[in-house]
Amino acid sequence: MTSTSVAKPPRGTGQSIAARVEQATKTYGSGDAAVVALDAVTVDFAAGAFTAIMGPSGSGKSTLLHCMAGLDTLSSGQAFIGGTDIASLSDKELTLLRRDRLGFIFQAFNLLPVLTARENITLPLDLAGRKVDGEWFEKVIASLGLGERLGHRPAQLSGGQQQRVAVARALATKPEVVFGDEPTGALDSRTGAELLGFLRSAVDDLGQTVVMVTHDPVAASYADRVVFLADGRVVDELQAPTRDGVLEMMKRLGG
Amino acid sequence: MLRYSLRSLLAHKLRLVLTVAAVTVGVAFVSASFVLSDTMGKAFDELFAGLAKGTDVVVRAESIDANATARGQVRPLDEDIVDTVRKVSGVAAAEGSVTGFALILDKDGQPIQPGGAPTLGSSTSTDSDLSGNFSLRSGQVPAAPDEMAVDAASAAKAGYKVGDRAAVIFEDGTEEFTITGIVGFGDTDSLAGATLASFETATAQKLLGKAGKFDQIDVRAADGISAVDLRDELAQALPAGTEALTADQVSGESAQAIRDGLGIFTNVLLTFAGVSLLVGSFVIWNTFNVLVAQRRREVALLRAVGAKGGQVLGGIILEAGLIGLVSAGLGLAAGVGLAGGIRSLLAAVGIEVPTTAAVVEPRTIVAALLVGVVITVVAAVVPAVSATRVAPMEALRTATPADGSIGRSRSTVGILLLAASAAALATAALLKDQLVLTGLGALAGFAGLVVAGPLLARAMAGLANRGRAGGGWSLAARNITRAPKRAAATALALTIGLTVVCAVAVVASSTKASVTDLLSGGNRADLILQAASPTGGVSPAVARILDQQAEVDAVLELRFSQATVANKSASIIGLTRDTVDHVMDLGITAGSLADFRNGSLLLSTKQAKQLDAGVGDTVTITFPETGERSYEVAALFERDALVGAGYLLTLDDYAGNVTSRMDAAVMVTAASGVAAGKLQQQVDDALADFPNVQVSDPTEFAKSQQASVDQMLGLVTALLALAVIVAVLGIINTLVLSVVERTRELGLMRAVGATRRQVRTVIRRESVLMSLFGAIAGVLLGTGAGIALARAMNGEGISSLDVPLASLAVYVVVAAVIGVLAAIGPARRASRVDVLRAITVD
Repeated sequence: MTSTSVAKPPRGTGQSIAARVEQATKTYGSGDAAVVALDAVTVDFAAGAFTAIMGPSGSGKSTLLHCMAGLDTLSSGQAFIGGTDIASLSDKELTLLRRDRLGFIFQAFNLLPVLTARENITLPLDLAGRKVDGEWFEKVIASLGLGERLGHRPAQLSGGQQQRVAVARALATKPEVVFGDEPTGALDSRTGAELLGFLRSAVDDLGQTVVMVTHDPVAASYADRVVFLADGRVVDELQAPTRDGVLEMMKRLGG
Repeated sequence: MLRYSLRSLLAHKLRLVLTVAAVTVGVAFVSASFVLSDTMGKAFDELFAGLAKGTDVVVRAESIDANATARGQVRPLDEDIVDTVRKVSGVAAAEGSVTGFALILDKDGQPIQPGGAPTLGSSTSTDSDLSGNFSLRSGQVPAAPDEMAVDAASAAKAGYKVGDRAAVIFEDGTEEFTITGIVGFGDTDSLAGATLASFETATAQKLLGKAGKFDQIDVRAADGISAVDLRDELAQALPAGTEALTADQVSGESAQAIRDGLGIFTNVLLTFAGVSLLVGSFVIWNTFNVLVAQRRREVALLRAVGAKGGQVLGGIILEAGLIGLVSAGLGLAAGVGLAGGIRSLLAAVGIEVPTTAAVVEPRTIVAALLVGVVITVVAAVVPAVSATRVAPMEALRTATPADGSIGRSRSTVGILLLAASAAALATAALLKDQLVLTGLGALAGFAGLVVAGPLLARAMAGLANRGRAGGGWSLAARNITRAPKRAAATALALTIGLTVVCAVAVVASSTKASVTDLLSGGNRADLILQAASPTGGVSPAVARILDQQAEVDAVLELRFSQATVANKSASIIGLTRDTVDHVMDLGITAGSLADFRNGSLLLSTKQAKQLDAGVGDTVTITFPETGERSYEVAALFERDALVGAGYLLTLDDYAGNVTSRMDAAVMVTAASGVAAGKLQQQVDDALADFPNVQVSDPTEFAKSQQASVDQMLGLVTALLALAVIVAVLGIINTLVLSVVERTRELGLMRAVGATRRQVRTVIRRESVLMSLFGAIAGVLLGTGAGIALARAMNGEGISSLDVPLASLAVYVVVAAVIGVLAAIGPARRASRVDVLRAITVD
């Protein structure tokens, strides 16, 4: 199990590629009813960087994330996590890839209600039968400020706390890439900002790689780089985005 | 609302099928019980009506005991009464007949032995009008002393044709005859499964031990005279001790007797049906609880758009009613088939029952529909009412309902009930003969399990909550803790069946142990001879033959009859006075065996206590044939279980009051110096003409008794298997519903790296935990109840207590396996959850 190199290249410009798709195409249905969600997309995501994927509804941004994360399969083209071509993996290999090498934060319903916060965080490790790296765990918990909440069940936590537990869960295995699917979508703006701050520090302080889909320009402004999708194609990108810059771009795309 | 209800029914086909199946099995059992007993009843009615065709009045000895005619136990009449009858005006024809024991042997010399029906010998009617539908299929009626006719069923079984020679065993020995005719009874080949050998009348009288006697006289009225008038006319002409009855009365009486017998049989079947239904109700109750809980949002939405509480309730009840109706219909149809299955099952253990075309009475249909619909609707109403109480917005907010809380008072009441049950069963076991207390204890125990079930389920899950949260048993255990009420109700469905199975197993095992104890306790016989079939008997000729063997020392004959003592039915035994002491140690506690002679009796200490009688007192026995007879108590004995009766008479006194001379058993001791093997060899050789007699040494005897106990246990277990099947459907149902409910959780698990196998494992372990919980609760309660029950049946001869630990352990293991099997479908479904759909916000 290799984790990201600690020697970190400059943001978004490093040679090390954490995730990459080539000629990624995804179509739903067939014949006249066929819908093209991804149209020969080629894009890569640098290790140790925080990348946001944006685009209007139906642009294919979520599909791209799901296909890169091994949650969905491409119709054609290739997707790589590190050097692994995930299109060639079986369902079981994909499952183990997600468990051991990736982290996930969904918009909502990230946690199993019967498990405590701590158990939810260590769930991927437990599923793998691996021991928890105590030092790393403490570091993650401390940076997320979850120390006192570890024994609570999700129902006893606020929405923001639940999402922080989800972030901790995603980071627990020291994954190669953490994928976020609208992680702040269900939070109010203050809690959302807090969460984005944690993701930012996961990249800056813990050396993690984050790829996040969002439709919120404020959220995107926390990233090092924003990739814009429209009609299933990559149409543009911004380095070191600001809220206004993103808004401008979105307006141009008609989102 | 109607359209909505119909749609929602069809939208969830799987849960619909499972729910319907649960109701169907229960209803099928109920209808099968009714169909089977109605069919048998009708078969007997047809039979008796057919036999009595052409006969208007029957003359027979007056029965002393009103119940005894049911057992056909009346004294034979002198044959010259036929002449008296013929002289009465209005009599067109009169003919006497005799019936008795006759066992036909097949070509290999083996007895043609029907399972539960008697082997009959009879006289042959020469008046074709009086012979009813008794008809020759081929050949002719026997007319000479060495001729006989046999029933078509026996002839077919043994391959006999007209002209063959066949041997028949009678009370006095074996004789050979030429078969001159094959007879049938209307369309049927046998008399309700009995074998029949019929002879020319004088021969029959001699062979059946009734020379110069008739059991009854069939009379046909002259044209224009009614049966009732003729009966009254005859009654005046007949001597005292004789009675005249119309043929309708007699066949009605016989049919009633059979129906009474069938009534017990039906009740036993209905008890098992009740068990299945109870299990079914749990399953349905649970299913609707979960369904309604899952549909809280749906219900809330309906309420929010303006459906009244009553409309929602009505919709759910309508849905339940439809399920009930469909299931009841299916169950009814399945019941007719199942009736045949139960018949085959009974036949497999040697209980053959007569049959005719399946009878489906309106009562059966009404019962099936009522049971199906009412149970389903009642099970659905409570959750439905609670669903309508939900405030619309609350339900819309919460995704999945929390069911985890258990009321404090509920827990307290449940634990108190369980404690009361344990105390009652323990007391009953200690005090013995406490049938009522045992029943109450078992009921309290079950009620306690129902009430405290959720608490216990949670406690059990707590025990299983081991290992890592993501792997191991922990996740499964916590999922159970999440809805302990549901888990408990699911598990208790399995508990019901297992409780009964275990209770029966403990009683059966204790019975077997008692047999062993009994034989080692008071038996001194080296060989025990019994008829191979429970309905047969041993010809008294056997005892005479044994008496002449040099290797044999003492021979004891035992005959067995029912009579009435102090207005209660009592078992009476007649035995050879002189050899009692050689063959068994009765455990005399007062008086002396030396005083036991004609005119006196031996009384068991148990009966003595009930009658408040002691040595020297007089006990009056009312015999069905001869009425009241008084005997002086010669001695009291303790080991009544050894002989199976509380009243022992000398063989002479017994024979004076009971016509049948068949021995229930013959017991033999070896002459001094004769080895057991030698004795057995000698006895076997001497009894070559009696293939129906089973010769066993005490060990073999015990084994054969134990084998028949095992057979009954097997039968009961097979019937209860249906209840277990319903319970398994319930487990599957609960698992499927909870998988559906947890789609998103399962998807999330898959997304963060749980393999399909890991997901399946969690579901399977939930299933195993529920099954084990149900099984352990059932085994504990069943064993407790079984111990108390065995103690309560101390008076019925269960003197020992034996808990079959190995069998009980097997039940628990089987339950775990059932859990694994029940989880196959739901687990597969869980592992195929669409990850993307599960984690996408809807």
